[in-house]
Amino acid sequence: MILVPLWGRLVRPMNPKEVAMQLHENERKVLLELKERGTATTEKLALHTGLSRDAVEKASGWAETKGVVSFKEKVSQFFTLTEEGNKYAKKGLPEVNLRNLLVHGAQEIGSLKKTFEGINIALAWSRRNGWANIDKGRIELTEKGRDITDLVEDRLLKTLYKSESVEGSVFTDTERDIIEQLIKRKLVIKSEHMDKSVAITKFGKEVIPELESTKGVRIITQLTPEMLANKEWKNAVFQRYDVSLPAPSVTPGKRHFISQIIDYIRRFWVELGFKEMTGDYLELSFWNFDALYQPQDHPARDLADTFYMKTPYKGHLPDPKMVEQVKLTHENGWTTGSKGWQYKWDPEVAARNCLRTHGTGMSVNQIAKLKPEDLPGKFFSVGRVFRNETIDWNHLAEFYQTDGIVVGEGVTFRDMKGYLKAYMEGLGVKKFRFRPGYFPYTEMSMEAEVWNEERGIWNELFGAGMFRPEVVKPLLGLDVPVLAWGPGFDRLVMQSYKVNTIKELYSNDIGLLRRAKLWME
Amino acid sequence: MPVIEVFIEDFRELLGRDVTIEELQKRLPMLGTSWEGESEEGFHLEVFPNRPDLLSIEGLTRAYASWTGAKTGLIDYPVKKSDYKVIVDKKTQKVRPWFVTAVIKNVDFDDPLIRSIIQMQEKLHMTHGRKRRKVAIGLHNLKPIEFPVTYTTKPPKFKFRPLGERFEKDLTWMLTEMKTGKEYAWTVEGFKEYPMILDKKGMVLSMPPIINGEYTRIDEVTSEIFIDITGTDLKAITEVLNVICTTLADRGTEIHEVHNHYPDGTVLTTPNLQPWVMELDNKYVNHTLGYEFTPKQSAEELEKMGHGTKIKGDIIHVSIPSYRADIMHPIDLVEDIAIAYDYDNFEPEIPPISSPAGEDPKEVFSRGLRNFLVGFGLLEVVTFMMSNRDKLFTRMCLPEEPICETSNPKMEAYDSLRNRLLPSLIEIISFNKHHPYPQNIYEVDDVVVIDPSTETGAKTKRRLSIVLCHARANFSEVKALMKGLLDNLALKAEVEEGGWDCFIDGRRFIAKVGSEPLCWAGEIKPEVLEAWDVEMPVAALEMDIDHLFRLVYMES
Repeated sequence: MILVPLWGRLVRPMNPKEVAMQLHENERKVLLELKERGTATTEKLALHTGLSRDAVEKASGWAETKGVVSFKEKVSQFFTLTEEGNKYAKKGLPEVNLRNLLVHGAQEIGSLKKTFEGINIALAWSRRNGWANIDKGRIELTEKGRDITDLVEDRLLKTLYKSESVEGSVFTDTERDIIEQLIKRKLVIKSEHMDKSVAITKFGKEVIPELESTKGVRIITQLTPEMLANKEWKNAVFQRYDVSLPAPSVTPGKRHFISQIIDYIRRFWVELGFKEMTGDYLELSFWNFDALYQPQDHPARDLADTFYMKTPYKGHLPDPKMVEQVKLTHENGWTTGSKGWQYKWDPEVAARNCLRTHGTGMSVNQIAKLKPEDLPGKFFSVGRVFRNETIDWNHLAEFYQTDGIVVGEGVTFRDMKGYLKAYMEGLGVKKFRFRPGYFPYTEMSMEAEVWNEERGIWNELFGAGMFRPEVVKPLLGLDVPVLAWGPGFDRLVMQSYKVNTIKELYSNDIGLLRRAKLWME
Repeated sequence: MPVIEVFIEDFRELLGRDVTIEELQKRLPMLGTSWEGESEEGFHLEVFPNRPDLLSIEGLTRAYASWTGAKTGLIDYPVKKSDYKVIVDKKTQKVRPWFVTAVIKNVDFDDPLIRSIIQMQEKLHMTHGRKRRKVAIGLHNLKPIEFPVTYTTKPPKFKFRPLGERFEKDLTWMLTEMKTGKEYAWTVEGFKEYPMILDKKGMVLSMPPIINGEYTRIDEVTSEIFIDITGTDLKAITEVLNVICTTLADRGTEIHEVHNHYPDGTVLTTPNLQPWVMELDNKYVNHTLGYEFTPKQSAEELEKMGHGTKIKGDIIHVSIPSYRADIMHPIDLVEDIAIAYDYDNFEPEIPPISSPAGEDPKEVFSRGLRNFLVGFGLLEVVTFMMSNRDKLFTRMCLPEEPICETSNPKMEAYDSLRNRLLPSLIEIISFNKHHPYPQNIYEVDDVVVIDPSTETGAKTKRRLSIVLCHARANFSEVKALMKGLLDNLALKAEVEEGGWDCFIDGRRFIAKVGSEPLCWAGEIKPEVLEAWDVEMPVAALEMDIDHLFRLVYMES
């Protein structure tokens, strides 16, 4: 994007000298030309300044904003004969010819119809003008017809015949009426012409001496490499700009706002001492559900919410020992101290591939990788999760979540509140609360809610909790407290960017991306 | 999750005090429910699936009264001895094996109770019952029933008079013509004979889980009822029976036992409303919550959740009411203490844990790349991972390949995972035709490809795609861009003619570093632009960021 220089507009009373320095070369030419003439059409100015008419008009426009000229636009009308009009101009109008004939005495209509050219037109107009009467097949002039001294129509046709077109202002009002008639008779056509004229103002006249004093001095608009090379700038004067003028904004290359916020969230967790964990979008149901102690007939595993894969349909279950522990925990609680769900666990169901419905699968995968010597540990992830939704203004099939876990002997429910409070405050949420929630894999379960000032209600923001021993022990081999959470942040981004729907948030509307403010935290 | 409607007058009457909507709106969520707004005569409340006992107004009020301290501790639900006998036929064992029952007397079916029971039954069917397949509930007028009742199966031609019909109909008719039959036919699909409950005279009580018989219809003068619960899971049907019986008991009814004789000789006497005992170590409570409750304090909080307690040193013997199906581990009791004490009363704290921190190196690399690309004046986009074959291949004039596809998408436009990034970016260009050009965009993000060597058979890969779209977009521009990028990473690529079919032949290339391809680029074919309805030239590239990352990371 190239910035174009802009020329000034008078925003406050200025002194003639200052204004003189603000004038562009073309404005100076126009103004100097007007010194003698006072007023001139742009056409004439073009002729005398050697500029194009377009350039004169632009320069006059700028000059007007500086108060040195006033710019007037006047519409002129021009009249021209049509082909038929030309014919009558030469031969005379039929009704005029008839009148001139009748001056010599009345005539039989019957014989006129045979001999007189254009008799019908002549009769019609004679009657309309009130020049002649028809009585018992004879036509004779009225008193009005006889006493005409000025045959205006005829005279106008002849005037128009003499020059190609005639400017309307030369005609009297009566003549203009007649011309309108002739236009209706398609003998004359009217054309319009926009006449722009420029007049020097009183202030403009005060500027003139300033211009003349710098006459011959080079006025620089754009400094060029050549001027720098030949030092021309040394004897030149820089045109002054009105710096208060609006400039168009430059659209830069830029990061997407969601991606800026993801960077921020990463930094946020790292500053709190968390290590990043990553994982795949396509996951075994084992990690997405079973390792999280979700019974295999749990409604959340329904086809309605989860994308299951056609290709690749299923995968291989991980470490058989760990899988066996998970299986026993589901069936009877294994050694976790739980009663378990008390049903028959099916490895085929767990081997089924799906698109991860939450980032929590990554968290349990991480726990399974940990050794006792790795504890305590704090981990986070940021990534997309998928829901089998029909997409509309408020529902998407994929969105972002940032999951976190803290694993370690001695971490407590109060610590969980501590981390989540920090997260909420980090994202600028002022009023929030934590209330009991429910997830099959956490106990305590917690729902973080944010106060919606507009509607006066609490809105659910995300779930959190401490992983049940039935989740942790089969994977880690130890019963260690684990804090876990999985917030989405779409709602907060929407609030921050004044975007009303989730769909718009992910629309990649280039206009929105170009004007979205930077995330400067 | 189920949402119930609570009539505030019913709630007040059961609670025995004039509670306000404001109080309930403020407090009920802290008991572990979600406020869903006021209704005409009360409010809507979401109940969590682990607490079916809160699905009735009776159960909800019971929990609220106890939690607010009005009536704490264990409630005794006596069950009267009786001779009611039910026989479970062997034939049911292969189709719908489990059957539990109860008899309730002294029932006063007024409007509030009927409302509450119907709502609870409906919600239990949907959630716990998994749309009646796992659990189905039948309530009957006890009067006409002659014991023993038999739970058996009958062939499709078997006839009886279903609830709401004037004549006897056969079972096939019920599954194909009746509204509830059609709705729940899937639960008995493939059965040769259908489950059936009959009394001694052979009169039909119910065809579970489809419809009851007209024979045992309940009306406002019914004062004694027979409850049958059938299902595929004994634990689930027992829980549901206990929840219903305790709800009715709260209304002053008498519960009578029934002896269910199973084909293997087992006799299940139901309902069993006795509490069961779990031991809770008070140290575990404090260790988990980060608090210092005395055993006595913990016990008090537990009583506020309806439990009975006995303290022996640090150990609390907790008597858990029969309707609390969700308690399976001491941790569940710890949560009850936290709820009873109120989540709001726990001070947040950040523990002094030091552990290694940091971002994933590939994410750091990707961010560096994203920031660097902005220097070229490129605008970053964030596009969807999900796509379809039309977008990935047909419109791109690319040959079809195996990709990761979902089996049950709700929308065809998003039924697969993308294996290339470029189509997503071209799609963005096609959406933005009303905005000024140039539109030069990029994205660094993931694609997923088939890879049998992994746990799932698929692999996530990171890619970069750049799309330059303006009146003079061309090959040299995109090639220069790639060079600018690689120069800044001190890499040099060998460029070979050829590559992807979405580019104009003779104006496309593959750039390699080592033997592996790193980048595919060129001018997009007009056929592709036409397919996307893009009316502006496009030059583009796609780069393998995993490869680039290895090249840069290995070097340093």
